[in-house]
Amino acid sequence: MEQLIKLELPSLSLIIPELVVLLTGFILFTLDLVYKRLNHALAITVSLIGYLIALLFLFLNWGLKGETFYGLYHRDGFSSLMQAFMILLTMLTLGFTHAYYKQRRSTYGEFYYILNFALVSGMFLVSSYNLLALYVALEAVSISFYILTALLRSDFNSKEGAFKYLMLGGLSIALASYGAGFMYLYSGSLDLRYILTHVAENQYFLVLGLVLFLVGFAIKIGAVPFHFWLPDAYQGAPTPITAYMASVGKLAFFAPIVRLMPYVQEHFAYAWVTTVGIISAVTMLYGNLTALVQKDVKRLLAYSSIAHSGYILAGIAVAKVIGLKAVIYFLLAYALMGFGGFMVLALLERVPNWENRLEQFSGLRFSVPWLSLSFMVILLALLGIPPTVGFVGKALVFMALSFEGLWWLAFIMIIATGISTGYYLRITALMFMKEPNHTFDLSISGGERALLLLITFGIVLLGAVPIILWNFVSLSAENLFVR
Amino acid sequence: MEGFPLLSTSMLAPLIGSFIILFLREEISKWVASITSGFVFLLSLLSLFFFDFSKAYKVQFEEKYTLIPELNLSLHMGLDGLSYVMYLLTTLVSLSAILWSTRDHQIGHRLKEYYIWFLLTETFLIGVFASLDLMVFYVFYELTLVPMFFVIGIWGYKLRMYSAYKFFIYIFVSSLFLLLGIVSLASVHYKQFGKFSFNYFDLLKNTYPLEFEVFMFLLFLIAFAVKTPIVPFHTWLPDAHGEAPTAGSVVLAAILLKMGTYALLRFNISLFPEASVFLMPLMVLWGIFTIVFASWFTISQSNVKRFVAYSSVSHMGFVVTGMFLLNTEGLKASITEMFAHGLTSSALFMMAGFIYNRLHSFNMQALRGSIRFMPVFAVFVAITGFSSMGLPGGSSFWGKFLTIVGAREYTLLLAFLVIVGAFFSAVYVLYLLKTLYLDTKEEGRLIHFTDIRGFKLLAFFLMVLPMFMVGFLPFLFFAFYDPYIKNLLEQIASKVGG
Repeated sequence: MEQLIKLELPSLSLIIPELVVLLTGFILFTLDLVYKRLNHALAITVSLIGYLIALLFLFLNWGLKGETFYGLYHRDGFSSLMQAFMILLTMLTLGFTHAYYKQRRSTYGEFYYILNFALVSGMFLVSSYNLLALYVALEAVSISFYILTALLRSDFNSKEGAFKYLMLGGLSIALASYGAGFMYLYSGSLDLRYILTHVAENQYFLVLGLVLFLVGFAIKIGAVPFHFWLPDAYQGAPTPITAYMASVGKLAFFAPIVRLMPYVQEHFAYAWVTTVGIISAVTMLYGNLTALVQKDVKRLLAYSSIAHSGYILAGIAVAKVIGLKAVIYFLLAYALMGFGGFMVLALLERVPNWENRLEQFSGLRFSVPWLSLSFMVILLALLGIPPTVGFVGKALVFMALSFEGLWWLAFIMIIATGISTGYYLRITALMFMKEPNHTFDLSISGGERALLLLITFGIVLLGAVPIILWNFVSLSAENLFVR
Repeated sequence: MEGFPLLSTSMLAPLIGSFIILFLREEISKWVASITSGFVFLLSLLSLFFFDFSKAYKVQFEEKYTLIPELNLSLHMGLDGLSYVMYLLTTLVSLSAILWSTRDHQIGHRLKEYYIWFLLTETFLIGVFASLDLMVFYVFYELTLVPMFFVIGIWGYKLRMYSAYKFFIYIFVSSLFLLLGIVSLASVHYKQFGKFSFNYFDLLKNTYPLEFEVFMFLLFLIAFAVKTPIVPFHTWLPDAHGEAPTAGSVVLAAILLKMGTYALLRFNISLFPEASVFLMPLMVLWGIFTIVFASWFTISQSNVKRFVAYSSVSHMGFVVTGMFLLNTEGLKASITEMFAHGLTSSALFMMAGFIYNRLHSFNMQALRGSIRFMPVFAVFVAITGFSSMGLPGGSSFWGKFLTIVGAREYTLLLAFLVIVGAFFSAVYVLYLLKTLYLDTKEEGRLIHFTDIRGFKLLAFFLMVLPMFMVGFLPFLFFAFYDPYIKNLLEQIASKVGG
């Protein structure tokens, strides 16, 4: 609380990566203003250089910790890890988008700086404990996503998805801010750490505020019963943007909830475990059951994304160090897998008359063998077959659940995973075991091929040699628990 | 061979082989695969000279590569008497299956993929039997699913996709319980010793209250009961084995089923001795139940492949019964039967596949008397059949006989029950042999049959020769696992008695 009174100069060294990304955004904005027809190669190059520099700063000052802007901004291992992943995924997104938009004659200069803006706000969202800062960052990420979803101007679905997203997104932000208000009323502070450890008379305000705040975020991550916007938005959005939302969006929206975990106090630990556990159970069952009956693969992957939110929430229910490690690992794992899955669809959508229908996947192996192989690896990773990141994530969540003795949730997770076998396996089987209706040629540029290979390889490598990621995850999780 | 990484070599060789196949022409792939698996087989034979039989209870050829120090997760591999037998069986059957595939009509397309999947299976199977780290074991256990899924689904017979799904879903879902069990053990280790561990020897030190131990036992059992399979959980097996191509069925029956029984012995009994003793009567009776019911199912089959598949279930009943008798004879019977069944069921599936290539039918009625036109083949099948039945001198004899002896140590009634089971399992083999040999072929349907020859003869011979060895020289095999069994029983006695 004293921080509010003391006057300090903001230590900008903590937010250099954000500043670099923001600066890149301004350059892109200016470029778009200056040139009547923006040279896309130039825009991509500028973005990539900016992101690389940001990434470089991030790695150079990896161990950097501290707060600035009077506690509005908080950098630690967790935020660095999340930010590094977000920047990497944004860079990967840029590798796929141009060809996609070009084919749809929807190339706009706005795209680059809005993507950039989403990234910056996401980076702020993962590194704050302050309700006000979280609110602003959440709003900024969401607005960027609405625009990105609607950016396929000639497409009706794109607009429909964006509109649905806007309505429910607005609701979620309203709820979150309302909850924030109650929490302020309870404690007289905007700092989540202070609020949760504060002991005051009216516990109801805390509970009400926390519930509303969490519901706001539950809408964003697509937890059942707040998920209705998600399949439509994911389906309507341009597919590379769907990939972006499923990866960077998931990381950003989950981060504040993850930050709450170390502050789950004894007296409401039981309520936390029960509530989050039940939401998680419902989410994974619903997501998987609904995915099972989907005929559209993009929508199917959207429901699978809901189900994965459920698995991650199961880890969040275990508010211990081991749960936190599981959650962070699984989040990063899902970001990679979800991204890969949607990107494969983005590439396939280049085929004439491609509608992502399930039967179109039959015999895909005979047309695009390498793409189908990548897709198979990604699907098996989503299912949780070793040695992939998906498996490591799932095993860690199981470990956390068994550590806490949450057997019922573990059994529900087994059932949910069992259900998910049905649809992941069906696509795999269709691709490799059925004879094709007709074969086609798909020209994938060398760069895209390399990127897809990189993602696939990463999924297998991080699963087979988990130590690469584990040390970062483990350290950042333990640091979060140090008060 | 001191310090020579036997296990990594025999696991890497098929990997390298499949990598080479990727870049070669389609027709060459079968030869690369044969040479690779032949190399691994020779390597495993060679390693016999360096295996210390007097210390067969100890882990030998040990290798350890740390994966995550914080969780004590490491690629820890090694062979003791039990896993060594399984390792030999794996290399032998893999070679034989690949040799068979080179001449199989069913394998006419997408050869590259086929042999890559097969070589990968071999790697994973060796990994299953050699790993001493439970998480690594689980990884390989799951990984074997993927190649078999594709082998059944792409090269199988009519109902191949349905069977492939069923196979994958049954085993995947059941093994998730195993995963939960494994991570629970690691958590318990953390609570008792202050650090996580997935290492087999570390987890042996855990102690549990009886209820919790039974709970863990059941979590492991769900996975292995489906894999083994024990009767109410066997329904995936006839489909998977019946629709897979011959070599696929061979590997499925000979090795993949052994993963279940091997793991029951290695993990359920060793890690949870108290629960095993507690649940012993249940498990033994369940095993006998499996023998009897599976035998009845077998006799009623009209498809010869499904017939052989069901007979596998019945044999697995013997393995489970013998194992949970928890005495020297029972365990010895169980391990011998595992090896013996690997040989006989492979040979029987080869028989089915061979006749299919001649008659294009798996129907028992169509097969009647067909075998008489192929003298060499007929002799081999007869040997296999009598071995499978448990005739003295046949490979399954020791399994059945010692199970009866082991049961006799408890009560006469139990021994009698096992004898009833053995009776029914003899009935179906006799029925099969009668159909093949004694029934007459209808007039006018005589087709010219070519006798077995070439690579198929070699593959079949590779199965029949060890059958003789098990039957007539069982002490050669007992030498592998006698010390292991002694050690295991001492462990159980010290934990339960103390």
